Amino acid sequence: MKIDKDTCTGCGNCLPFCTVGAISLVDWEGTERGDVYQDLCVECGVCLRAEICPMDAIYRPDLGWPRLLREHFSNPTTQHPVTAIGGRGTEEIKTNDVTDRLKPGYAGVAVEMGRPGVGSTLRDLEKVSMALAKLGVGFEPENPVLALMVDQKTGKLKDEVLDERVLSAIIEFSVEMDRLKDVLLVLKEVSTRIDTVFSLDLASRVGEDGSIPTVRVAEECGFTPRPNTKTNVGLGRR
Amino acid sequence: MTHTLHRRGSVEDLREDFVMLIMPARGFNLQGSEEKMRQIWGVISHYEGRLTNFGSPEIGNSHRTTMDNLKKATHRISHAVFKDRENVKACLKELKDRDFGISVVISGIHEETEKICIEVGLKPHTVEHSLGIHGKTEKLPDENALEITTMCGHALVSPNLVFHLVDELQAGRISHGEAARKLSTMCVCGIFNPYRAEKILRRLTMDV
Repeated sequence: MKIDKDTCTGCGNCLPFCTVGAISLVDWEGTERGDVYQDLCVECGVCLRAEICPMDAIYRPDLGWPRLLREHFSNPTTQHPVTAIGGRGTEEIKTNDVTDRLKPGYAGVAVEMGRPGVGSTLRDLEKVSMALAKLGVGFEPENPVLALMVDQKTGKLKDEVLDERVLSAIIEFSVEMDRLKDVLLVLKEVSTRIDTVFSLDLASRVGEDGSIPTVRVAEECGFTPRPNTKTNVGLGRR
Repeated sequence: MTHTLHRRGSVEDLREDFVMLIMPARGFNLQGSEEKMRQIWGVISHYEGRLTNFGSPEIGNSHRTTMDNLKKATHRISHAVFKDRENVKACLKELKDRDFGISVVISGIHEETEKICIEVGLKPHTVEHSLGIHGKTEKLPDENALEITTMCGHALVSPNLVFHLVDELQAGRISHGEAARKLSTMCVCGIFNPYRAEKILRRLTMDV
């Protein structure tokens, strides 16, 4: 996003709306004007959609490659070209009763880089994907992050995208339940080497007895599952 | 797209925060699902007065569209936000009885969602847990702001907007309800819970 300084009156109304604090008032020919710090802006579009500018000075410039990635991952009102849905991820467990994507005996793992609200460079995402790739995890083919990878075996991303910043991007994969512990321990280690945060999701099929096998493994690795969950209630069918 | 999973807050607060998501599966039952999705809005509309928000990322949230629009629109994902388990249960029961064959996901306190499924006669298929936030957590805003901002899983509600509105409330320039609606408008999917946000804002401004 950008602000037309000839039109802006420097009222500052837009400042609190920016999801990543990228808007500030700067000196412009002796008066204050709104300015979007381009390195930090994730192109989420909130400042524009909020219709907060009394002068309509906020605008979306033409976004070339690779900056366009910021919008694809950060603005859920744009459809991602890989998934054909808005936002960063896939259908994951939401339609698992129909797709059978996550099978019994497997754990579904999603590492939501930059969430909640901190944002992440794709360089930080690469640190995590490369650490996971060493374990031989198979990344989710429908997740848009995969399209940015040079090599799934190493988790390396294309060099030209590394400095792009997004509100969130998800590293998504499933792994056999007996390998989950290794994955969680690697995530714990790599979390100390990134300059952002990630929210961690762990999914599994519910056992015949109602058990959720991932919980025990998570607890053994020192994680505390939150009390609120997401449950696919099993009403879908092919 | 785990946008309804990582809501923060105490167990008691989260007992007033349930999100229902309904979507067909691409490559399986998406094709030809348009009419079913409209009929599903017909079911959800029975609870309209008891919902705190609703919407679809393709169409907008309850502040920008109406239930009637959603009943007519072509869209792929439906969201409804409830503040109590009994209405979640009643709506889920109705969806089960209508047997649309479209996937339904309930986000909320697991203890409650598990019981609701049993009471409705459903066996949960897949469950996803949040294992929390890791890494440079010192970059996060304070927990009070997170309780509000994480109600938009796409992080479109800025912590600075929360702080700004708290200032506005303390100056008497806006009501708690207006502030909660303003925050809720930012969440395009309609999964933000303005009822809960208003309660948190009252707590932050000591107006309880």
